[in-house]
Amino acid sequence: MDHAHDHHDEASKPTDVRERLFLPELLHGLAISTRKFLRNLFGERDPNPQVVDRTGLSLVTTVQYPDEKPIYPPGYRGLHRLVPREDGKPRCVACYMCATICPAQCIYIEAGEYSDDDHATESRVIEKYPTQFVIDELRCVVCGLCVDACPKDAIRMDTYKHTPAEYTRQGFVYDIPRLLRGPPVTHPSDPWYKRGSSEEPDHVHKEAHTRIGEGLVPLKLPGGHRVEVDTSNPVAVTKFIK
Amino acid sequence: MRLRWNVIIGSLTIIPGLLFGGVATGYLLGGLADKHLFVGAHHLVNVVLLLLVFVMVIATALTLAERKWSAMMQNRIGPNRARLPFLENSALSGVPHVITDVLKLLTKEAFIPKDASKLLFNLAPMLAFAPVFALFAIVPAGPTVNVFGFDIEMVAANPDFGLLYLFGIASLAVYGTSLAGWSSNNKFALLGGVRASSQMISYEVALGLGLVGMMIAFSTVQLGGPAGMSDLQSHYLPGWSTYLGPIDVGVPQWGFLLQPAGFILFFAAAFAETKRAPFDVPEGESEIIGYFVEYSGMQFGLFMIAEFVEVVVLSGVLIAIFFGGPYLPFGNLWLKSLFGPDWQWLYGSILGTVFWLKVVLLCYLQLAIRWTFPRFRYDQIQTLGWKILLPIGLANVFISGALILWDPSLKALAIAGGIEILVLVALTLTPTPAKSRADAHIGHHGPVDEHGHGADHALPAGHH
Repeated sequence: MDHAHDHHDEASKPTDVRERLFLPELLHGLAISTRKFLRNLFGERDPNPQVVDRTGLSLVTTVQYPDEKPIYPPGYRGLHRLVPREDGKPRCVACYMCATICPAQCIYIEAGEYSDDDHATESRVIEKYPTQFVIDELRCVVCGLCVDACPKDAIRMDTYKHTPAEYTRQGFVYDIPRLLRGPPVTHPSDPWYKRGSSEEPDHVHKEAHTRIGEGLVPLKLPGGHRVEVDTSNPVAVTKFIK
Repeated sequence: MRLRWNVIIGSLTIIPGLLFGGVATGYLLGGLADKHLFVGAHHLVNVVLLLLVFVMVIATALTLAERKWSAMMQNRIGPNRARLPFLENSALSGVPHVITDVLKLLTKEAFIPKDASKLLFNLAPMLAFAPVFALFAIVPAGPTVNVFGFDIEMVAANPDFGLLYLFGIASLAVYGTSLAGWSSNNKFALLGGVRASSQMISYEVALGLGLVGMMIAFSTVQLGGPAGMSDLQSHYLPGWSTYLGPIDVGVPQWGFLLQPAGFILFFAAAFAETKRAPFDVPEGESEIIGYFVEYSGMQFGLFMIAEFVEVVVLSGVLIAIFFGGPYLPFGNLWLKSLFGPDWQWLYGSILGTVFWLKVVLLCYLQLAIRWTFPRFRYDQIQTLGWKILLPIGLANVFISGALILWDPSLKALAIAGGIEILVLVALTLTPTPAKSRADAHIGHHGPVDEHGHGADHALPAGHH
């Protein structure tokens, strides 16, 4: 259809007398405003944080955030947590998978090794544990890849909270005491379940390294010249100040 | 259906209670002043009470109401974060925000821009505020009653040139805005000032013409007193009244009934003079920010509070001229006869409360208009003033004059006014046949895309 013709035809039509008088339409508008005003002034407001489930006369859809918190949908990727075992220690075995896959490189892990003296405990079936597990929540892009990568179900984002505000940047760097929270998780496949009686750790393997800072890949910089990373000395992994 | 009974009961008791207390204080203090000082001293009491207490308090409350009521109209909650020290759990409907606003405005630096004309820059807020304030002096806020043996008028001054004073003083207010715009040494402020003055010029004519019909009808320009417009409206049209038991009922000669077109003219023109949306081109938030862009602290506060005082004063003037002043539409004689000669101040206080309740209602209407209608473009305002309001005003003057000549008892005028109101109500209550137009269109041209259709509806009314 020809739009120009359409509009011309429409504009040449005589408008309704109500629209030309302007006043009846204005009164309609005032009636709408007043109806809403009276409903919201005299009607009780339902404080249900799920706004769509609210019943009541008031039409106010505001959720007063710090006082009323909306419920996040299932599967919401919230603040990370390190999943504890039944004994309160982290399930994490310091495999560096999450730190490796993290596109924002916001996870820093230092691994510790259980000594042979620990044979009496259940930890004898686990070789390693994190001595440092730090997430910089300011760098995190909340992609959830760390959760997918974890082979031990040791890191989750099921807190249904987003990162709270802090006064300093350092406050966004979360360490083990702040990350280790929430209900403990145990799976039937956990080694201390399956091999509870074993005297030896089931795997003896070399410590896996992240590729961060290994300098194996030559960096490409704009300008055409290539920078060869000096591999004679180990390059320090960026450490978060704790 | 759950209702906020505390709000309902609170607003039904606290607001009329406070108003009644204030008016009763005014009558009694006025009587005492006349008794112990000199006859006519009650006018001094009225200056303090009506202007400084009633108008200022209502205007201050309107600064909060503007935000809170607009929130209610837009399904929001509105300001509720400021709390009083010992009542941290209750927002008190946002009332503490008034205190925080005043504190903020009073403690901020009053900055004067470099190269600004210092004298005019400091003078402008006062010039913008004072005339608006002085305007209320002639508005009678209650009937004249006998207290302690003296006739107490509930008006600051009652000159026989009442409405002329109103026109003169109302035009003065624009000097403040123009001077503010000019002396700020800022192009945008100057633009705002120029817009304010040109808007005032285009509306001053309609403002005057809107009231001419009332002046002819009552043969007076006085507002207060027994021969003033306010008191004349308490009378019924001759022959059109009766008694239901002890209560007198009838058709009152309210200005709204006699002059509906005059009311709409005056309301639109006076609304444009308050410089509030939809006539807020002098501010023009999206374009030029306004004539007070260089002002800070309490000097800006004066401009802002002047706007709200204007709202209150305009409500008072409208009620005194068009809505029967302090009087009820019926039963005034019955109400007066209820109280003995020593208790006439109680009768006056009740009617004074009625006046201020009407003022609050009209303030609500103005705020609702401000939050409902889209603002006019600059040329649309000029079109409305010169091409629409002015001819309607002239026609209204001639028709009203002819009807009053034909029937001096004002009945013909009342019938014409009633027909005008009925036509408006009928047009408002019958639905706009937008759908039938769309159907006819489809019949002629086949399916129509929604967008092209909506564009026509979005055109402002000034284009039709």
